Amino acid sequence: MAESGSTRAEVLDATGCTLGVRDVSFDVHLGETFVVMGLSGSGKSTLVRCVARLTDVTKGQVTLDGDDLTAMDERTLRQIRRKKLSMVFQHFGLFPHRSVIDNAAYGLEVQGISKADRHAEAHRVLELVGLKGYEYHYPQQLSGGMQQRVGLARALAVDPEVLFFDEPFSALDPLIRRDMQDELIRLQSDLQRTIVFITHDFAEAIKLGDRIAIMKDGIFDQIGTAAELITNPATDYVREFTHDIPKAKVLTAADVMQPGEGGGRQVRADQSVESLIPLMLDDPAPLTVVDGSGLTVGIVDRTAVMAVLDDGS
Amino acid sequence: MTVASGTVGRSVRLDTRTWAPWAALVGGALALQLAFSSSSGFPAELDTFLESPIDRAGSWMRTNRLSHPLFTKFFTPLSNAIDSVITHIGDLLLWAPWYVVIAAFMMIAVRVRMWREAAVIGGALFYTGAIGLWEESMQTLALMSASVFLAVLIGLPLGVWAALRPRVETVARPFLDVMQTVPAFIYFLPLFMLFGIGNVPAAVATVIYALPPVVRLTTLGIRQVPRSAVEASEMFGATPRQTLVKVQLPMAVRTIMTGLSQTVMMALGIVVLATLIGADGLGSPVLQSLNQRRTGRGMAAGLAIVAIAMVLDRVWRALAERDPMRRLPRRIMLGAVAAIVVATLIGRSAGRVSFPHLWDMSLFDPIDNGVEWARDNLRWFTRPFSDFVVTKLYLPPRDFLIDTVAWPVLVFVTGFACWRIKNWQFAVFSMCALLAIGLTGMWELSLDTLVQVIIATALSLAVAVPLGVWAGRSRRVEAVLAPVLDAMQTIPSLVYIIPVVILFTVGVVPGIIATVVYAMVPGVRITALGIREVAEESVEASRTFGATPRQTLFGVRLPLAAPTIMAGVNQVIMMVLAMVIITGLVGGGALGFETVRALQRSLFGLGFEVGLALVLMAMILDRFTEAWADRLKPPASS
Repeated sequence: MAESGSTRAEVLDATGCTLGVRDVSFDVHLGETFVVMGLSGSGKSTLVRCVARLTDVTKGQVTLDGDDLTAMDERTLRQIRRKKLSMVFQHFGLFPHRSVIDNAAYGLEVQGISKADRHAEAHRVLELVGLKGYEYHYPQQLSGGMQQRVGLARALAVDPEVLFFDEPFSALDPLIRRDMQDELIRLQSDLQRTIVFITHDFAEAIKLGDRIAIMKDGIFDQIGTAAELITNPATDYVREFTHDIPKAKVLTAADVMQPGEGGGRQVRADQSVESLIPLMLDDPAPLTVVDGSGLTVGIVDRTAVMAVLDDGS
Repeated sequence: MTVASGTVGRSVRLDTRTWAPWAALVGGALALQLAFSSSSGFPAELDTFLESPIDRAGSWMRTNRLSHPLFTKFFTPLSNAIDSVITHIGDLLLWAPWYVVIAAFMMIAVRVRMWREAAVIGGALFYTGAIGLWEESMQTLALMSASVFLAVLIGLPLGVWAALRPRVETVARPFLDVMQTVPAFIYFLPLFMLFGIGNVPAAVATVIYALPPVVRLTTLGIRQVPRSAVEASEMFGATPRQTLVKVQLPMAVRTIMTGLSQTVMMALGIVVLATLIGADGLGSPVLQSLNQRRTGRGMAAGLAIVAIAMVLDRVWRALAERDPMRRLPRRIMLGAVAAIVVATLIGRSAGRVSFPHLWDMSLFDPIDNGVEWARDNLRWFTRPFSDFVVTKLYLPPRDFLIDTVAWPVLVFVTGFACWRIKNWQFAVFSMCALLAIGLTGMWELSLDTLVQVIIATALSLAVAVPLGVWAGRSRRVEAVLAPVLDAMQTIPSLVYIIPVVILFTVGVVPGIIATVVYAMVPGVRITALGIREVAEESVEASRTFGATPRQTLFGVRLPLAAPTIMAGVNQVIMMVLAMVIITGLVGGGALGFETVRALQRSLFGLGFEVGLALVLMAMILDRFTEAWADRLKPPASS
């Protein structure tokens, strides 16, 4: 039924079964952070579970470096998981009976790596996530944010190619959540892993994602960069999310510039629109946008900036 | 049910669907009664098809015990192995100086900083020694720990298997149910046949008794491990075995241990009965005291059993405490172990091993005087009470069921009741069960026991439900009741039956009283729980409508607590059945007496028939009350 294009509601009416995820095709590129954003029940968790093969897909393929994960037997899948995949869970999924360092070393332990080696590696990643000194504490002695750092360390310890994050920060309170997002951005700038990140928080998606997929009722409404979603929402549903977003913070000079020859003050293409406002207030003349090598790529005038601000209210 | 339109209340006209079954019941019962009125008892010619083959099997076993490979190759070596484990543990406990034993047990609690528990362990063990029962206590401790160890050895893998394979659980569940429903003493005779007398049949009976909770709680514990933890393990490429050993089992340990502690406490009840089949330990002083009617000494020994129960419970709790942060540093523990070893060596070489003679059980003899005084001065009450129970409560229904009602009527009525409460499968099952009871010649004895069971259950509930409601509504009442209830359940019933026998003389009455005391405990507990579980919101809603406390109790609390209370009734009945053998020991007659007789004279055939009758009765009553509890539950939301 799903194959013939019926919607989720129609399938539910006719069969009593809820369609989890359907017709979702996407590629995640090496070193990219790909965020899937959707509200609860949209199928985003089912999606990541299918991709990680915690749930078996009824139909479809998940390929990693050309290998089809969905067709793999348990043994091969286990080997792939040991070497290439890792996951950070919404409710941490830590082992309360193991110390922080034994939690972090778990992935290495199941691979049969000696205690000295796996502890050395665990020490390294725990330091990386800022948990040095907590190695011999137990998870329940740590705050939620620190627990998720343990989850992160555990995922990083196996040196995976692909990291899955299933709403990792949604159980944390807002300030801790922001810290953890910053931490992830910092780590990712060093490590450059391929990340599939699930969230229900549009702001988080925009902050972290190189590309974002908006998911609703088991299908993708739109895939694009943050700026693409904001400037050119594909559906009303996507538009609704972009409403509350302070666009001046997300959009860059490159997103709002027009072709033209400048000569006045220069701004970089990746500067946020927000940072242009003080310049505009000082002097209404258009700004010249230059790329990394200093070549002029366009101009931004007052109207363009005002349009961004106006749309937000 | 048709409701007349436009009027308030129900129509006078009854739907045929409502009254037809009842008419059939009355009509059928009357017809059967008339047809079979000439023969009141179960036809005797159908009896004994079971007894003689089993007796033959029994005597075959007796003659072939030393020669047949079934014994020489299987049961005897198995029996010897179990026996040597128990003996070795017992010998070790008696070889080590007593103060070392006490210190070592206390250390288990100290290790996780459970200071109060350590004090309880020390005090309890000291009591058993001070009263002159050190040796018996160590024997009981050995028997219990060996049994529990065996139960874990068998139950743990079974529980894991059931947790991982739901199909296994479906198959195992009915067996576990029966194992838990059947009173433990029923296993005694067959085990006695297979393993001979002594510690082994007692240990095996305890294992059988302790196995179901171990399996169940292992399964439960593993299922309770959060999915995220299991998935995390899988995501890191752990094999199912790695996930089990490194994640699921360690996380389930707490649940398993907690359940085991409960089981150990309950299994201690077997200790006294185990004396009947020749086990060593604290049972024999209790049984002796009963025979000599020495209340005080019975109490002294009974308290020693309670002390051992407390030790096992606290030790178990300490072992279940998995929080690594509570552990004392390793070097302190190593130091303590070293100190214990040194103390052992010094104590052994100095010859200071056995507990010094402080007191003995005669310390409790003054209690005897009190009981005798009560016997002589309370006759004005005990006599009439005893007479009332026998002539008004016990004899009339017993005679009615045995002499007046024709047996097919009972089978028919039981079938009808089971059909109404559950379904026709259950009706067929109970009717067949009743027929089987009749066929084994246990008809009259079973009815006799049934009447006693019903009286004891009714009296237990009459005490337990009001008490439970009271405790459920007041924290303070519960705080006062809790230790009393604990004591009532842990003190072997044979201990408090001694004064009861002295006061009421042997017969049906002391059995019933002891049963009520023992069986009301779960009734109180579960009723209190049920009342407390009622959502505060419902109670407050009732109050805002201006309901009086009484209206709230009868209109809201009790109906909402009813399913839980009914589950308590089920427990009470099972406890009452477990006491049947005790009533037999004090002259209650019926199936209980036959059980004791069969055990003491090795009447295998008779023992089997009695056992079968009790098992079948227990199964009918268990399922009946369970179905009743289900019916009381409000319809579940979809």
